[in-house]
Amino acid sequence: MILFEPFHLPFMARALAELVILGALAGTVGVLVLLRRLAFVSDALTHTVFPGVVIGYLMAGEGGVFWGALAAGVVTAVLLTLLTHRRRVSEDAALAMLLTTLFAVGVVLVSRQTGYTADLTAFLFGRVLTVTQEQLAQTGVVTILIVVLLAVLRRPLTLRAFDPEGARAAGIRVGLLDLVSNIAVALVVVAAVRAVGTILVIALLIVPAAAARVLSDRIAVIVPLACVMGAAAGWLGLAASYEASVGHGLRLASGGAVVLILVAMYGLAWAAGVARRRVRLDRASGAAGLEALR
Amino acid sequence: MTGPTENGAAVAGAAVGAAAGAAVGAADGPAAGTAAGTVADVAGPPGRTAALVLDRASVAYGDVPVLEELHGTVYEGEAVALIGPNGAGKSTLIKALLGLVPVVRGRIEVLGTSPDRARRDVAYVPQADTLDPDFPISVEQVVMMGRYRKIGWLRRPSAADREHAAAALEQVGLAERARHRFGTLSGGQRQRVLLARAIAAQPRLLLLDEPFNGVDAVSQHTILEAMDALKGRGTSVVVSTHDLAIAHLACDEVCLLNRHQFGFGPTDATLTPERLRATYGGHALELRGDRVIVTQT
Ligand SMILES: Nc1ncnc2c1ncn2[C@@H]1O[C@H](COP(=O)(O)OP(=O)(O)O)[C@@H](O)[C@H]1O
Ligand SMILES: [Mg+2]
Repeated sequence: MILFEPFHLPFMARALAELVILGALAGTVGVLVLLRRLAFVSDALTHTVFPGVVIGYLMAGEGGVFWGALAAGVVTAVLLTLLTHRRRVSEDAALAMLLTTLFAVGVVLVSRQTGYTADLTAFLFGRVLTVTQEQLAQTGVVTILIVVLLAVLRRPLTLRAFDPEGARAAGIRVGLLDLVSNIAVALVVVAAVRAVGTILVIALLIVPAAAARVLSDRIAVIVPLACVMGAAAGWLGLAASYEASVGHGLRLASGGAVVLILVAMYGLAWAAGVARRRVRLDRASGAAGLEALR
Repeated sequence: MTGPTENGAAVAGAAVGAAAGAAVGAADGPAAGTAAGTVADVAGPPGRTAALVLDRASVAYGDVPVLEELHGTVYEGEAVALIGPNGAGKSTLIKALLGLVPVVRGRIEVLGTSPDRARRDVAYVPQADTLDPDFPISVEQVVMMGRYRKIGWLRRPSAADREHAAAALEQVGLAERARHRFGTLSGGQRQRVLLARAIAAQPRLLLLDEPFNGVDAVSQHTILEAMDALKGRGTSVVVSTHDLAIAHLACDEVCLLNRHQFGFGPTDATLTPERLRATYGGHALELRGDRVIVTQT
């Protein structure tokens, strides 16, 4: 079975564990991103974490990547929280320019390395097959931390997303809560950066939650759905990329395969959502028709 | 939100003109020289507790003063209408009563303490149309938010919490909609759900920001009834509105606002054509016999 067989190899098993955990984590946090409309925060993070990764790598090699990403991610989360509390920031041209500049700094720094295209690709698109035990442990710790945080804060987070003024009126420290949300998103980007790269992580954050939202109107259903879809996409993507490379001699990058599977899932969810609404409408009009007959 | 057609024309009944003669200096506009009304200086009759005291209070966003020299008192179980055109500062005053906008001069006292400290006994009802209708949340979940304070972050809602939420939803006539998604309800029904959320919190002071804007007749009736019921239990109500008729119908006091206070006192005595014209700007007001028509809000 292509879904199980490749994962007897230890490096494939580690890659699988990493992608499944990341998919589940990003799917869950993605619901927060969806409800709080934080897509632009994820976008900003992918731009700033990249130079962080490069600087970390230049300073301390492979082991510096995580810490460089972490520093850049947390600083970005703090700055974005401060900025958004001053004014609307999502459509700010100055911010876009700053982010692109930071990204360019990363590119310039990498390009001074010998064999830089290989490094560049690794930083942008990740290298899931070389995931180590230590990386897996870091991802696990980040995941547990975030899941506990979201579980504890689920009520204030929901109220704040639904009704910000009402949340303030209820005595919730909205600024602090927003900082925590932004840091949670940053931690997901940081955890995912080595396995799937800075570019593709945004798909992991956005797509499963969007697909789950199409399928349900209840947060209590959306969160587990998004989590399962993220994890499943990690698994299927990795299996597909293995099968293509080993079975058919086609080189298929696993990060890209994961994203394509996610998009396919979204398409299916969308079709199912349309069907669901049609059934509901038919039922409603059927009931109305019966009423009329009486 | 600021479209002139949406707010339409606010019409006050015949009582306004007739009551004008009875205005015994209950309130003064800034034009009269003194900074504020005189009502608040008088201590209430024995046994009445002040729910809200504005003592020459000024409110500002940063360096931008929005409201200046507010002065007046509202007692337990009373309702006060905040009346004034768009941009007058009605929402800002409500936020100041919640302690969310700072008082830069003077003093605001809520339920005998500072707005910050009073907050746990104050419930706020936002305008329903400011909320995202696509948000995945059911009517009963919205109402349960009113109990969050008492439930805490982790505990599951108790039977008592559920009873309070169900009773509040019943009170606004939407019990059978409990499981519907909030955004599928009409504007008026959504406003009633938000009111139910506030009722479920068992507040001593209720703040409503323009609850009658774009609301159907049934919802308006239900909201007015619920306000009366709360007042009967000793809850004080602050409601901002463009509708002078509603102020007459449901409020004991009015506060006329447009950056300054143009009057604060008993409804009939305070809603005089002169004060309304001053509040809304002379051009915005037409007088036809004993009717007052505010054409621009
Ligand atoms: N967050 C804010 N920062 C600065 N000024 C504000 C803010 N909110 C409102 N204002 C200003 O305060 C004034 C009063 O606004 P508001 O209280 O919303 O009026 P109303 O509710 O009566 O329509 C307006 O001129 C508005 O521009
Ligand atoms: Mg307002």
